Amino acid sequence: MKYAFFLGCLIPAREPQYENSVRKIAPELGIELVEMEGANCCAPFSIQSVDYTSWLALAARNLCMAEQMGLNILTLCNDCYESLLATNTLLKGNQELRDGVNAILADVGMEFKGKTDVKIFSDALYEDVGLKRVKDAVKRPFNGLRVAVQPGCHLTKPKRIHFGERTGVSALDELVQATGAVSIPYERKEACCGGPLRGIKDDVALSVAKQKLDSMKNAGAKGIVTVCPFCFIEMDMGQIEIKRHSNEEYSLPVLSYAELLRLAMGMKLEDWEIRAHRVPITGLLDMAEAK
Amino acid sequence: MQKAVMVIGGGVAGIQSSLDLANRGFRVYLVERNPSIGGRMAQLDKTFPTMDCSMCILAPKMIECAHHSNVTLLTYSEVKKLEGSVGNFKVTVTRKPRYVDEKKCTGCGICSENCPQEAPNEFDENIGMRKAIYMPFPQAVPRVALIDKESCVECGLCEKVCPAGAVNREQKPEETELDVGAIVVATGFDMFDPSAIAHFGYGRHKNVITAMELERLLCASGPTGGHLIRPSDGRIPRSVAFIQCVGSRDRRGWIEHSYCSSICCKYAVKDAVLIKEHEPDSLVTIFYIDMRAFGKGFQEFVNRAKSEFGIEFIRSNPGEFSEDPATSNLMISFESPITRTVQSIPFDMVVLSSALVPSKGVRELAKTLGIGLDGYGFLKPEDAVRRPLDTTVPGIFACGYCLGPKTGDIPDSITQGSATAARAAEVLAKTEAS
Amino acid sequence: MHEVANTPRGRGVLACIQCGRCTSSCPVSRVVPEHNPRKLMEMIILGLRSDVLGTELPWYCLSCFTCLDRCPQLGDVGEATFAIRNLAVRQGRIPEGILVQARSLLENGRVVIPSRMHSIQREEHGLGKAPTVDVEAVKKILKRTSFDRLVGKGS
Repeated sequence: MKYAFFLGCLIPAREPQYENSVRKIAPELGIELVEMEGANCCAPFSIQSVDYTSWLALAARNLCMAEQMGLNILTLCNDCYESLLATNTLLKGNQELRDGVNAILADVGMEFKGKTDVKIFSDALYEDVGLKRVKDAVKRPFNGLRVAVQPGCHLTKPKRIHFGERTGVSALDELVQATGAVSIPYERKEACCGGPLRGIKDDVALSVAKQKLDSMKNAGAKGIVTVCPFCFIEMDMGQIEIKRHSNEEYSLPVLSYAELLRLAMGMKLEDWEIRAHRVPITGLLDMAEAK
Repeated sequence: MQKAVMVIGGGVAGIQSSLDLANRGFRVYLVERNPSIGGRMAQLDKTFPTMDCSMCILAPKMIECAHHSNVTLLTYSEVKKLEGSVGNFKVTVTRKPRYVDEKKCTGCGICSENCPQEAPNEFDENIGMRKAIYMPFPQAVPRVALIDKESCVECGLCEKVCPAGAVNREQKPEETELDVGAIVVATGFDMFDPSAIAHFGYGRHKNVITAMELERLLCASGPTGGHLIRPSDGRIPRSVAFIQCVGSRDRRGWIEHSYCSSICCKYAVKDAVLIKEHEPDSLVTIFYIDMRAFGKGFQEFVNRAKSEFGIEFIRSNPGEFSEDPATSNLMISFESPITRTVQSIPFDMVVLSSALVPSKGVRELAKTLGIGLDGYGFLKPEDAVRRPLDTTVPGIFACGYCLGPKTGDIPDSITQGSATAARAAEVLAKTEAS
Repeated sequence: MHEVANTPRGRGVLACIQCGRCTSSCPVSRVVPEHNPRKLMEMIILGLRSDVLGTELPWYCLSCFTCLDRCPQLGDVGEATFAIRNLAVRQGRIPEGILVQARSLLENGRVVIPSRMHSIQREEHGLGKAPTVDVEAVKKILKRTSFDRLVGKGS
């Protein structure tokens, strides 16, 4: 499986360990990641809030790049996924809009033709690589580690863009179970982590994060698994910030799915990657090595 | 040429149509796919706004049908094939095997008493259990038992104990060909399965039920003998919430019932009053978007519900339910119209006023008869304004909820039943004259 | 109301029947009483233009789209929020946090760039430099759409 690898802004800037894990496991799963040289920011919600056309044009430029490469886009971030997928859907379905955006893209020598598709990491694993291949790659399964999966809003919402019945949360659950961990049910599983308000209204973001952490803890989770890098920061760093404000401790280590799978595949995380997790993950690592 | 009419569907609309035609001297074949006629009205406890006992009104009509010399009941039967045209239809009806001889069975019930096997009771909306050999419900017409072969363990006890020797476990399906001049379709409705609207938690939370399930709980002939108890622990609920517009007025692609079902506001208020009558100290709240209580007596009924019975009406559609794992109570989050902030209130039980949708199997029947359906699966009238009870095939008429929500209540179905009888009689009169 | 309905993301306002399901589904409304999607729609419908564009309400939105998925009338509250934000920005209202990202985008082609520490980390551990951006292309696009002027950086 070959993809145009769209990293977005946040992961290269703040979560290089996530990128590292994906690059390490990709060859084992038959995934070839082709760099998108010169790709720009996807235009997440903050930018969409400023201007509609700017959003479409910026997102479309990335879609054009993938079209020129003749590949589908693989993204790791839910917000990038939402931005690119929504733009792709809108422009594919509306000639007038497409013409308007192409008039702008002409300035940079590009034209949107509607020939590419956008996939997020978990869906790509489930739909293209296949659960069997993922299971086969697991050499050191987690023995029933109970984790709360944080799918992130834009894995499945809004439903009409994500095609309703498309994989999404249940696929992610199955991928987590494939590593030997158990994806536990918990209240408000599909609710937001609060991430989008980080840096804009931090106290609100934390209050929302707290609701999620509460329900995860109440359900008996021993860890959290994320897909979206915003969810990762909000759930991980968020616990540190909540402890600072109200002294409440959850002790829920957070791993991105790529890291979970990497461990289950028998690889080790390097020191710098382990330190990148604010809530210590040493307990989880012990579980992975115990087998 | 044929002075006979086939009525497909033995609910109150079909029954009325049959009686009117039979009284005019025509032969009526009343085909019903369930083992008894009666339809949805038989499942209700009381009717609005007069709070009459539903079965008390319906049963005399059911019995009249059974005993009328001009009516032939073909229960547990389905229409298989249609040939011919108006005035001269040839209908093939398959009679499903009951494994009980209708002519011999006296309805004594000894077979059921001795049967060792249980299965969910469809008439009670799968709340209670019935036996593998069973009477559909106490007032069933015809009062003949039947065997559910899928649940039956073939022990043969029923055959042994039946005093009339009516059990025939080798019975086979039978096909009958009937010649009729006109057909009336009266297949009614099903209640929408609200699990498609995930946030209401139907199917996940035990104490979230549909209005039809509530009817069976309230009904004296139901699984709890008319005692209002809640599914999770059998306790009497001290607080009940009704949620309106569940699946109705919903334009979302995966629901697709943009229409208003027409009677949910009415039945919810009726059920709320019934609950208050059963448990005067309980707290009953109706969460609505609009209160559509049109027609004579209904707005007055709503007013009484508020002033006399103390039922609370809150104009807000709740967005979140959460279940308390210890008590199975539901915490309902809604925006309070008074404070304009999100409030959460616990309820012992929640009733979803679910949409009414076309009966299962209607698509296949429509194909067999060659009649048109609308986008929702309701029967499409030939001309919605001038001939609202004519289907797209001449000589085939329709009445009741299979046409979709009109006024939707029982008097409306009865009215339409009589109207289609007149339409069918018109066809037969012409046929007679020619 | 029609001003909003005529924007690409604001079409849903015409369908709103004020049932309130959006507000009770909203994760922010539970913790911030001032945030109320139904109320935003109400204000739009009532034509309270300056109130709508001046209130903090739309800036609390997480864009989680829970409201949008649950709205039975396809009112698209979550989308209308963007429409309002776009209109508010044209009046010069942008929260600081968003302004920071927008300015970074104009300058670097990215809303956030690696800090020095993260750059070093990447080099040390074999990830190499962060992926390059064609900043000129971004600037061209954003000038063409007048984005630069909206965030106060253009001519």
